[in-house]
Amino acid sequence: MSTDNKDRPGQPVEKFTGHGSEWRPSNLTPTEAQRATAWVEQRIDRRSMLTNKDRVADVRDEMWQLEKDGQIVVHRITDQHKPVEAKTLYGWTKRIPTTQLWHHKSCGQCGNIPGYPVSLLWLMNKMDIKYIDETDQTSCTAWNYHGSGIGNLESLAAVFLRNFHQAYVAAKAQGLPEGYYYPLVHCGTSFGNYKEVRGYLIHSATLRENVTKILGKIGRLVDGKLLIPEEVVHYSEWLHVMRHEIKKHQVIDASNVRATIHPACHVYKMVPEDAIYDETVLDGNRVAVSTGLVQALGAQVIDYKTWYDCCGFGFRHIISEREFTRSFAIDRKIRVAVEEAKSDVMIGHDTGCITTLDKNQWISKAGAEGTAVELPVLADCQLAALLCGADPYKIVQTHWHASPVETLLEKLGIDWRSKKAEFETYLEQIQTGAADQLYDPRLRITSGPGFKPFKREVSLPPPEE
Amino acid sequence: MADGSATRVQDFIGDPVSETPMVPRAKLEEIFQDLQADLRFDHELNGCLNCGICTATCPAAHYYDFSPREIVQLLWTENLDGIYDAMQEKIWSCAQCYTCAARCPFKNSPGGLVMLMREVAIKHKMQSAKDVLRPFSRVMLKLVSTGNQLAPDMINPQHFADWGPNISKVDAPLKLLRKAIPMATLNTTETAWEVNLKTSVELYTIWEMTGVLDQLEGIDENLFDVITDIMEEKREDWADFLEEQEDED
Repeated sequence: MSTDNKDRPGQPVEKFTGHGSEWRPSNLTPTEAQRATAWVEQRIDRRSMLTNKDRVADVRDEMWQLEKDGQIVVHRITDQHKPVEAKTLYGWTKRIPTTQLWHHKSCGQCGNIPGYPVSLLWLMNKMDIKYIDETDQTSCTAWNYHGSGIGNLESLAAVFLRNFHQAYVAAKAQGLPEGYYYPLVHCGTSFGNYKEVRGYLIHSATLRENVTKILGKIGRLVDGKLLIPEEVVHYSEWLHVMRHEIKKHQVIDASNVRATIHPACHVYKMVPEDAIYDETVLDGNRVAVSTGLVQALGAQVIDYKTWYDCCGFGFRHIISEREFTRSFAIDRKIRVAVEEAKSDVMIGHDTGCITTLDKNQWISKAGAEGTAVELPVLADCQLAALLCGADPYKIVQTHWHASPVETLLEKLGIDWRSKKAEFETYLEQIQTGAADQLYDPRLRITSGPGFKPFKREVSLPPPEE
Repeated sequence: MADGSATRVQDFIGDPVSETPMVPRAKLEEIFQDLQADLRFDHELNGCLNCGICTATCPAAHYYDFSPREIVQLLWTENLDGIYDAMQEKIWSCAQCYTCAARCPFKNSPGGLVMLMREVAIKHKMQSAKDVLRPFSRVMLKLVSTGNQLAPDMINPQHFADWGPNISKVDAPLKLLRKAIPMATLNTTETAWEVNLKTSVELYTIWEMTGVLDQLEGIDENLFDVITDIMEEKREDWADFLEEQEDED
């Protein structure tokens, strides 16, 4: 660094550091600076993937020990689930089951952007993946918890264990063994929350003891013990490990699409030890899910300066302090993606993010003239389904999106006007008749009122074309 | 103010000339002990160098008088008055993104600590919690009585006028649009998906046994009454179903 002041020869360069008059530059040599940086990296940087460090402590080591000690039962991922291994940033090896999946739905996706789960199931049909979507599932309750504070660690843990126990036993309704289906979590907040809760359950005997009473009361123990899953798996991780298989079904070229990725905070900032990174995906500098898929499908992934920011959802703010939510969504995410990255679409992998980024664009018209911004927003599985030929209305359900998805459809060469007209005709047809389904609707009820046991050999309807 | 003569403003900011502390010391200590008693407290708070990385990356800090660094410092230094003050308003600014937790060199989780403070604010029935959570009652009603946090019938132009005219780009009744979703569990309007009766009854038992219903009663008694009525009916329905099953057997 030059110390010569061009304006005042012979005088040092004037600097303003903001640290006070007592501050002095360290004037480290490059070697000393390297040593100092190495010290910081050694102590602060916990990544293993990019630094060749050992993995950080893995909570699953204790989990296996607890099982060995007879305290818990682990819902295992076995060969029948055809697992694929992936690496996390902090050195864990994560096994992602690819078939026999129990869909842990997201309340926000199902309630508000239903093309999100439909696209995922449609892709699974396309690849002949076995799954079950049933009615015996609660929300994870974590949106409410993070928004309101109503709830507590025990309630979150009990809900987690209850839903995952149902995933474990669901197959019995079809005459199949326990453990046949493995839970696949759709919502990023459910995913982050469940991983956090799993850690506390493994670390705390008190918590285990308390929730055992609750799970016992509702009949959700296995041999009198808590059932804990070997992995908590997000659907975006399934897409990630299946991306090359999905690519085989691609029928629409995406090479002219500039995509920005919005990674979800609760997917990779909560329990970051468990977030999948891949050295082949942006050199391991970004969380791999979604980015890897979009790259594999041939679109251009465009980095942007606020990729690390949240979307502005805020849990409570989306309901009651929307000025924060929409300001953040517009100014920190959408505007940057449009003006800096010249993006054609923003791709996400979580419920709250897609909702926030998609719905809050219209209000930007209220700003000064010329400041409004618009950008199509979709989930990764919706883009993948579109590129594999899914109907933009019947399957991807783009009519629930407020953002201008039509501009993306045009860029992909999809005649959305005629597809929309077809869908409107379809709506007229189903007013009095039955609607098409991705799976046999009888499978959705596994117990209680309306349940009729029958065997799994009931054939699934053919994949939607 | 405990004597009942204070104005609403004094209730909120205290009396600047009174030497009596706004909140008795014992109450402040009780609140702090409740925070410390949570098994997550020591996991979420490990020390603090005041480096401010958490605040630098905090979305709420862009828009509010809120700093995760300040929250950590208040708890780390056991500043009981400051903790109480933060629980009046600041903790509700946090967007719960956990960027702070992912970045903290000490592995603190300011976002996690905020959650403990929110829970304790509810436990102590703080007015701030009641005020802040009033708009959340629709979500709570839906969640506790059905097991779903959100439903299609909650997304409408009356509640989300700022989302504009494109909440649905196909002009058709909600019920028909939902019928056109090719997942049988999603052909619903009052819940995000069709929820098994047994499922919501089990969830209600979880709420009861974990003290969540008590939290709710402390914050909104009317909502609590509505929810307990609904759920008692569901429990009866479930008991009737089980009885019918036994008769059939």
